[in-house]
Amino acid sequence: MSGATVRIAREEWRWLARSRVALVAGVLLLLLIITATFTSVQKHEAIDEARARYQSEQIEQFYNQPDRHPHRMVHYGQYVFRPLAPLAFFDTGVDAYTGNMVFLEGHRQNSANFAEARQSSLMLRFGQLTPAFVLQTLAPLLIIFLAFRALAGERERGTLRLMLAQGISARQIVSGKLIAHAAVAGAIVLPALLALTIMSASSGASAQALLIILGYCAYLIVWTLMALVLSALVPRARDALLALVALWMVTVVLLPRGLPELVAASQTLPTRIETEVAIGRDLKAIGDSHDPDDPYFNDFKMEVLARYGVSDVQDLPVQYAGLVAMEGERLTSDLFNRYAADANAREDRQNALVRTFGLASPLIAVRQLSMTLAGTDLDNHQDFLSQVESYRYSFVQHLNRMQAEQIPAVNPGEDPRIDASNWLEVPGFAYVAPNPLAYAGGRIAQSFGILAAWLAGLACLLILAARRLERIAR
Amino acid sequence: MSLFLAELKLTLRSRIAAAALFLLFLLAALAVWSGISLSDRQNAAIERVQAAHAQDLAAVARVYGQPDGDAGYGAYYTFYLTWDRPSPLAFAAIGQRDIQPFTLRVRTLGLHSQLYESENINAELALPGPFDWAFVLIYLAPLAVLVLLHDLVAGEREAGRLRLLLSLPGARGLWARRLGARYLLVLAALALPLVLGLMLTQAPLTLGAGSLLVAALYLAFWSGLGLLVAALVRSSGGGAATLLGCWIVLTLVAPTLATSAINSAIPAARGTDLSLAQREIVHAAWDKPKEETFDAFFVNHPEWRDTPPVTGRFHWKWYYAFHQVGDEAVAPQVAEYRASLAARERWTERVGWLLPTVSTQVLLHRLADTDLQAHLAYQDSIAALHRRIRYFYYPYVFEERPFTAADFERLPDYQPRPSGGSLAWGSLIALGLAALALLALSLRRAHRVEMVQPTATSRPGRGFLSKPAFT
Amino acid sequence: MKSETADAVLEARHLRHSYGARRVLDDLSLRVGAGEIYALLGGNGAGKSTTLNIFLGFVRPGSGSASVCGIDPSTAPDEARAALAYVPESVALYDHLSAYENIDYFLHLAGANRHRTSVIDPALDDVGLVASARGQRVGGFSKGMRQKVAIALALARNVPVLLLDEPTSGLDPRATAEFNDLLEAARKRGIATLMATHDLLSAAAVADRIGFLREGHLDEEVAANGGARFDVDALFRRYSERRESRTA
Ligand SMILES: Nc1ncnc2c1ncn2[C@@H]1O[C@H](COP(=O)(O)OP(=O)(O)O)[C@@H](O)[C@H]1O
Ligand SMILES: [Mg+2]
Repeated sequence: MSGATVRIAREEWRWLARSRVALVAGVLLLLLIITATFTSVQKHEAIDEARARYQSEQIEQFYNQPDRHPHRMVHYGQYVFRPLAPLAFFDTGVDAYTGNMVFLEGHRQNSANFAEARQSSLMLRFGQLTPAFVLQTLAPLLIIFLAFRALAGERERGTLRLMLAQGISARQIVSGKLIAHAAVAGAIVLPALLALTIMSASSGASAQALLIILGYCAYLIVWTLMALVLSALVPRARDALLALVALWMVTVVLLPRGLPELVAASQTLPTRIETEVAIGRDLKAIGDSHDPDDPYFNDFKMEVLARYGVSDVQDLPVQYAGLVAMEGERLTSDLFNRYAADANAREDRQNALVRTFGLASPLIAVRQLSMTLAGTDLDNHQDFLSQVESYRYSFVQHLNRMQAEQIPAVNPGEDPRIDASNWLEVPGFAYVAPNPLAYAGGRIAQSFGILAAWLAGLACLLILAARRLERIAR
Repeated sequence: MSLFLAELKLTLRSRIAAAALFLLFLLAALAVWSGISLSDRQNAAIERVQAAHAQDLAAVARVYGQPDGDAGYGAYYTFYLTWDRPSPLAFAAIGQRDIQPFTLRVRTLGLHSQLYESENINAELALPGPFDWAFVLIYLAPLAVLVLLHDLVAGEREAGRLRLLLSLPGARGLWARRLGARYLLVLAALALPLVLGLMLTQAPLTLGAGSLLVAALYLAFWSGLGLLVAALVRSSGGGAATLLGCWIVLTLVAPTLATSAINSAIPAARGTDLSLAQREIVHAAWDKPKEETFDAFFVNHPEWRDTPPVTGRFHWKWYYAFHQVGDEAVAPQVAEYRASLAARERWTERVGWLLPTVSTQVLLHRLADTDLQAHLAYQDSIAALHRRIRYFYYPYVFEERPFTAADFERLPDYQPRPSGGSLAWGSLIALGLAALALLALSLRRAHRVEMVQPTATSRPGRGFLSKPAFT
Repeated sequence: MKSETADAVLEARHLRHSYGARRVLDDLSLRVGAGEIYALLGGNGAGKSTTLNIFLGFVRPGSGSASVCGIDPSTAPDEARAALAYVPESVALYDHLSAYENIDYFLHLAGANRHRTSVIDPALDDVGLVASARGQRVGGFSKGMRQKVAIALALARNVPVLLLDEPTSGLDPRATAEFNDLLEAARKRGIATLMATHDLLSAAAVADRIGFLREGHLDEEVAANGGARFDVDALFRRYSERRESRTA
């Protein structure tokens, strides 16, 4: 790096420091990041605390239920609350759009309810104040604001010719400006870096935090390069600004909004009701436990009788109805899983399509990266739902087994119940947060690949633009 | 008038202006198409659901519509379908329709354990917000205004035409005419696709006129701001930067800050509370003396007081009574929950008094009936249906009358709520005042442009942006 | 003398003006009659443009008064502007419009609603803009051609007063000669022309009278003596004396 390059970078900083508008915009963005970080951390803690409290309250209530028939407890059910990922404060991702409370009961699959976006006014759709929002949406604008005149301004004023006439090469000038503005991009990421380091230290998600920072650095450098390329190509600073803002508009606002409708139109998601009806139909097709002549349940009965070596259900050491309930639950849960897998696959195809189109927008790549690493992407939610479903299945079967084993098979009386101490044997829901690096490694690599491709492409363009600058200014 | 036409022609002959206008028109047309596509998709989904539901209902009727059928079973297994079709204007302002459920089934059990079920949505697709006409208006149209107005004065100065222009006797009305011409062009680029969409969906004239009025006022606000900035700044770069700054604050920063403030000041956790509370009440009933349940139930349903008493362990009338008692017991929490949502809506409207972007959003989505309020109205229509089905079954259950196939023919029908688009007057007045005030201010300021001596020599600062950093 | 007998179309009486503490015009008086060309000669910063600005109504004089056809531009700028045409130092037009379209548009702005087409071509004839150039976009025009368009606009507006600011700066000798001929066209139409310039030769070639402006004050007026016009050498001597005395 030559002395001239460094000098040019220093000059650019001096100009930025002396320009009132640049200074004000920079300070405002910094304030915004800090506000976003603080409010987001605060909100994150409040939500986390509330969900943990509800979770422990509800399991307390479950354990404190009186003596009952286990089937009553199957419908008393359990509420499960989605815990927030430790880095969710940084990027809340889809959390506001997916419900966070699920009611679990026997042979029904309820939805996750009370998503924040459904309980907020439409203003929420303008965006949520998180560090990720500021870095993804606003930081590129600041970079554009500060860098659009870097080369076009020199050209407009005629100082570019002057510099070239003194034997400084366009490449030196361009690298000087690049150093100056890349440093600005670094300064923008700094507060987020601090917050992430502090927050991730206690949660053991530092690898994710590091990758997030890396992703945003790449993203902001992409914008720095973009600003300089356009500033080098366009003869007037004002035109560079308009062109850059148009680019920002397309890649940050338009594409992310426009693509979903295209994708949603190409791939239909079935509604809950259709799924419910279809599952009901499939269940009927397998067998009807109430029908004495039903072939499936007659086979089931024969198999049970054979297993216990008796010839009549009356002689079973367990309650036959309880066994039927368990078998029914097994069949239902199978179907739930099959339909959920299908719906998830459809959603995944939709999202994969967006990501493919996302080659055209570095924002889509960095957004995906950030959500995935922060543990707030859709896959993570799908994983939560599948953990919830398997817990639902296990706790319902637990209770069904109690019914089979503890409710007398013959003459149980009008109101058979089992002892309340049994409820304590049902384990509570233990959510295991998945590690994004393990389950989404490919996707993370893909996002980094896209960002790297942008970086490489723009760097080449910048070199070409520098050459052209030298040609036309001479 | 013909001078005005000359200005229109002049604007259209500028390549960058024509490109911006064409792009805006194209995007508005795309947005209208996209909105109609979503509306169609939701209508198709509703039809699919209706078909699936009809099959399901027929199967239930076959099993439980026996000559000696028990209404208790019939009520337990019969779901009632509700749906909320997009209003004819929904295509223009999709609002929350992409995230709120628009079909829901309920049965005679406790309403509040059924009402808050959500729909399968792909949250990642919903995250960036819908691409509809309202989006093009609120976000993109101001940028077109920016392109057309940021160098209105500075552009003439930089091109060296300003002194010649101002030396002409008719120069006084120049800025107003140019502003008017550009304003109308932007409005036309937006309105044309909307009108096409309105004709396709056959939306009521008043709703269409309402959204055009909102668009006209919102654009007037931005045009006023554009002219004000254009009259104040010294360079076109400064004009572009200043207007862009306003745009960022009004569409990105301020609404996000306001949302964050409103949602933390008004929590909506009562939804969770009421769900938990209702479960406790309903399930505790199994272990309480039946009289307690009935006493509570008869307070609001005295007409069933003298029906035959329940003696055995189980009777459907007791079962449905404790579900209803559960609903009634959580009424305070429900009211609080609804109040918190209403408060969030109210505060958003108030924020709109200060932020035209927000008031425009409020206005358009109220007209299109796609906001939170619309969803709450849908929930109300579900509650009304729930009440009707309860009262439909109560005579059978409480008087222990058989429920037969013929009775299945007489199930209550869901009455979809009437399309409830309305004009948010407060927001309209606020938006109108903001637009008028800015227009008046900016025209006055533009008038003074001719008094300012436009020489190339720099003069002592004239306040705002007198020394622009962007040249 | 002609100017003292004829009614003054353009008149300045005891103009004084300051920008802040800096005095720019100091008791400036002048009169220009119909069909007369008056050159206001002075160095950079002498106050020429300020004088024009006062006639244009862009600047309100500190004291004294100006009148254009009897109208005071500081109280009735629009009426005054309706009576005058102004050609700025560097003529800039709408680059994406042709010469013809530019004139049409500016005429329209100036309030001419009808019969524009019937005046534009004769005006372009008068300034000698070749027919082939009239339909071309002015983006590629030289300064001289732009000036022709601007003067054609002035002629087409058919106003009694023409104000020119440094019209010959940046013109080559041939374009300057053409410009001088243009002023003859204005003179023939009986237009009162006030031309601010620092170009002695051009002033001597066309002006009926030359006013020497120094530090905002009109030092001396010299009139052309009949057909012989000015004695350029004598003028030059005076002009440079003045400049020296000013720098001294
Ligand atoms: N708007 C202004 N504010 C302050 N000073 C000005 C302004 N316009 C002109 N001046 C000063 O007044 C003096 C006369 O200017 P001007 O009339 O433009 O001179 P010229 O004879 O060169 O046209 C110059 O010194 C100039 O710097
Ligand atoms: Mg001058």
